[in-house]
Amino acid sequence: MNIFNLPDLGEGLPEAEIHEWFVKVGDEVTADEPMVSMETAKAVVDVPAPQSGKIAVLYGKPGDVIKTGAPLVGFELAAGARADKGTVVGNLEESHETFDDNFIIGSTQSARTKTTPAIRILAKKLNIDINLLQGSGEQGLITKADVEAAALKLNTPPDGFEPLKGVRKAMLTSMTQSHQEVVPVSIFDEADISAWLPGTDITVRLIRAICEACLEEPALNAWFNTQHSARKCFKEVNLGIAMDSDEGLFVPVIHNAQSLSDDTLRTTINTYKKEVQARAVKPENLKGATITLSNFGKFAGRFASPIIVPPMVAILAVGRLYENAVVREGKLVAHRVLPLSLSFDHRAATGGEATRFLGAVMRSLEK
Amino acid sequence: MNSVATFEVLYTQYLKQDGTLAKPLPDDLNNPDILKDLYKNMVLVRTFDKKAIALQRTGKMGTYAPITGQEAISTAIGHALKKDDVFIPYYRDYGAQIQRGVKMSEIFAYWGGDERGSDFACGSEDLPICVPIASQCLHAAGVAFAFQYRKQPRVALACIGEGGTSEGDFYEAINVAGAWNLPVVFVVNNNQWAISVSREKQTATETIAQKAFAAGIRGLQVDGNDIIACRTIIGEAIENARKGNGPCLIEAITYRLSDHTTADDATRYQPEAEVVEARLKEPLLRFKTFLMRQFGWTNSDEEKWLAHCAEAVQFAQDEYLNAIPQPASAMFDYHYATLPDYLIEQRAIAMEEAQNA
Amino acid sequence: MPDITLVEAVTQALAYELAHDENVVVFGEDVGKNGGVFRATQGLQETFGERRVFDSPLAESMIGGLAVGMSLQGLKPVAEFQFMGFIYPAMNQIVCHAARMRNRTRGRLHCPLVFRAPFGGGIRAPEHHSESTEALFAHIPGLQVVIPSSPKRAYGLLLAAIRNPDPVIFLEPKRIYRLVKQPVEDNGEALPLGKCFTLKQGTDITLISWGASMHETLQTSKLLDEQGISAEVIDVASIKPLDIDTILASVEKTGRCVIIHEGAKTGGVGADISAQIMENALTCLKAPVVRVTGYDTVMPYFQLEKFYIPSVKRITDAVYSVME
Repeated sequence: MNIFNLPDLGEGLPEAEIHEWFVKVGDEVTADEPMVSMETAKAVVDVPAPQSGKIAVLYGKPGDVIKTGAPLVGFELAAGARADKGTVVGNLEESHETFDDNFIIGSTQSARTKTTPAIRILAKKLNIDINLLQGSGEQGLITKADVEAAALKLNTPPDGFEPLKGVRKAMLTSMTQSHQEVVPVSIFDEADISAWLPGTDITVRLIRAICEACLEEPALNAWFNTQHSARKCFKEVNLGIAMDSDEGLFVPVIHNAQSLSDDTLRTTINTYKKEVQARAVKPENLKGATITLSNFGKFAGRFASPIIVPPMVAILAVGRLYENAVVREGKLVAHRVLPLSLSFDHRAATGGEATRFLGAVMRSLEK
Repeated sequence: MNSVATFEVLYTQYLKQDGTLAKPLPDDLNNPDILKDLYKNMVLVRTFDKKAIALQRTGKMGTYAPITGQEAISTAIGHALKKDDVFIPYYRDYGAQIQRGVKMSEIFAYWGGDERGSDFACGSEDLPICVPIASQCLHAAGVAFAFQYRKQPRVALACIGEGGTSEGDFYEAINVAGAWNLPVVFVVNNNQWAISVSREKQTATETIAQKAFAAGIRGLQVDGNDIIACRTIIGEAIENARKGNGPCLIEAITYRLSDHTTADDATRYQPEAEVVEARLKEPLLRFKTFLMRQFGWTNSDEEKWLAHCAEAVQFAQDEYLNAIPQPASAMFDYHYATLPDYLIEQRAIAMEEAQNA
Repeated sequence: MPDITLVEAVTQALAYELAHDENVVVFGEDVGKNGGVFRATQGLQETFGERRVFDSPLAESMIGGLAVGMSLQGLKPVAEFQFMGFIYPAMNQIVCHAARMRNRTRGRLHCPLVFRAPFGGGIRAPEHHSESTEALFAHIPGLQVVIPSSPKRAYGLLLAAIRNPDPVIFLEPKRIYRLVKQPVEDNGEALPLGKCFTLKQGTDITLISWGASMHETLQTSKLLDEQGISAEVIDVASIKPLDIDTILASVEKTGRCVIIHEGAKTGGVGADISAQIMENALTCLKAPVVRVTGYDTVMPYFQLEKFYIPSVKRITDAVYSVME
């Protein structure tokens, strides 16, 4: 409320008496409109309204004496006279900017896997992707059992399948590795062995032929190092001879085959054959081959594309010996022939080197 | 200057140190069964207290706050409160807690480091033991507000030590209790010591009771070693509050005849002569004398009851010591109504560790 | 449906819950006849009476302890601390009791209470009236901390907080109390606690914020849009429990993250979010997580406060630094 005190009505008059009210409580008055007449010692004076507004209180009735400076009339506060600032400190910025916010609760993606660090370590060890698992623990927690079950499943073949073991597994590893690394090319030809005397030891002749060819074309008697893109050609021929057994393929190595006599070669081969059957080949005799011979034609097959086992760069496979119709000096004759398949790693050896090598093998065999 | 307000603190004693009456028993307590009941409860509390100290001293329980010499106060509280009322203890209130259904083994468990000690099997709404000094007074005010809000004829009673009345929370609690006329009673166990700080050093007021006047509520003093006075005055205050006549502060004067806790050594600061004198004033001594003289309590009764207490306390000890320890997961399962996401992994890690241990 | 401001949304939520749950009481200093110093409780005492909406004596620890006691008896007190700067006397009651009661009684007792407080600076207020110390509460096990940044979310989150059976610290960003208006339907529908809100989807960078800083963050994202940087904007809203899954999913998508908050840098909530992002999504990050925060200084008096509060410029600079 705004209180209007009695002003000094003239020359320091201390008080005045209310003579007559022109307004009553509740009236709306305009500024300067006469509100009341006051009787002073000297005269009757009209007091105008100091402001526009609604009369709230009259501080006396006709005949009352009001001291100068004392309340005379009270005015109601106009609406909006003291706006509510809506704060008790500072100033809140107000705007009438509206915006509609559209929001997504949470995320559209599914929740993260929950598990403990120890179980994460186990999963890594067992090669399990933990993010693909469904947790069986409380609140979808992935448990140790979940990981172990997944590992078991990963390592268990489907119904009816038998996991490869031992030599077969070794073959799997070896073949896979070869396939990943080697760039194989195979060349096929046949050696005419009609000149052979009866009772010739085929394997020994083959070994001799390879040794002679290695002398002539050492590029195929070599090792290739993938990491360093480097090769090492050998003078000695450490010949790996593929030997089949019930358990799988073994390749014992005849070290320094080029220096051994035919008899020694034969004895060595026989010893290895026995040892392979008995699974008693010494580990050092399975290592160090620089080139391999595979005589596979015992049952069937003429030509093949044999697999090169790194770090070697070549392998000679020999198919089933047979009598074929050949043309000699324009005439058709029946000669015994030996089918030859030479595979070489084209990263380390050229086609020229390979064909020269094969040619040398054939010349040796056709003597 | 004119006096605009004066205040008076009234002191009540019924049973003198020598076991004789200072004035006639109140009618409702002039009853051998009730009196013997009060006595038996005090004896049980003392037996329990001794056992608790022994358990701590033999490494079977953690730090414990003994109640020796102050049994009358909480026994009176426990006896006076109704079942539906709510008790808000600090940590020397076993007399009330045990009467109101808290198992002795639960109190052992609390001091023995097992949260289940506050999960009272009796399912009461009483608050657990409170360690942050005086904070419980505000809880009592809040509980009392709920009673008033729902127009229930229930009362909240908080207990606090005299040292606690220096805390802000105490003043804020009695203030709002007065401002809102809450149905709450504050009982101050003035055992003269706040650990090693004596009553004199704690505050300049002549009485603790007069702090009530600062909040505009009633303040009274009783002999805290006098079970009759405690039971009567506390009972009256509770019923008064129940009727809607507002809060009350009662200062019960006693002496702490033990260390502050089992980890404290009171001989470092409690003058020996004072302790000797205080022992003669202790509540069980005078009440037993009185009961034997006036209500036919015999040595045989005493023996039988002590045997019963020993058995009950032993049972509680066994229950406590044989409890299956909580699993590590208990650390996580009671923070929120449902286990939040971020605790799932942490909980599993803790459980793993516990399994491998 | 009228458009209402954030503070009006608070009032609307309180009114809804007062009308539908007899156990809800609203109290604090000046919340009754005066309707709260920010008018957050305007008209509530008139409508629901002094029994439900009432003024308390001037004592903050008392406000905290009373709420604890009330809630133990099954009432649902929504108690106001007039400013976050005055919540500190109640820390004992909040940390030692409200946060702990369920755990220490193994569920026998619990505290379904809400503590509301206007927080943050930028309104040219005197000292102590501009605090942003939500990190203190985020650190406390047993508490929940919720900060709305729009009228709609203020309404839905406050309803959720009141209905929640455990304590919630509900901090209202006063700088944006009246800054924007939105149509908010008074349907009593709560929003979930413990969930972030994705305000804008994007692919290049994740911007994470809450409270009043959300305003500058959204402005920044619009600016970035014009420059061809597509920002995903996340309103954390529930500081505790934190919805880290939504944040991680976003960072896994964008590979970059800037966190914006007004509270001081060291030990701020941004540090925890950053650590969690690193722990769980390091390989997805193309750049370190950067925080744009208040400095490690006391909130300055208002003449300097505009340099303290993270500005659009500071946020954009941080974004550029992360988008090499």
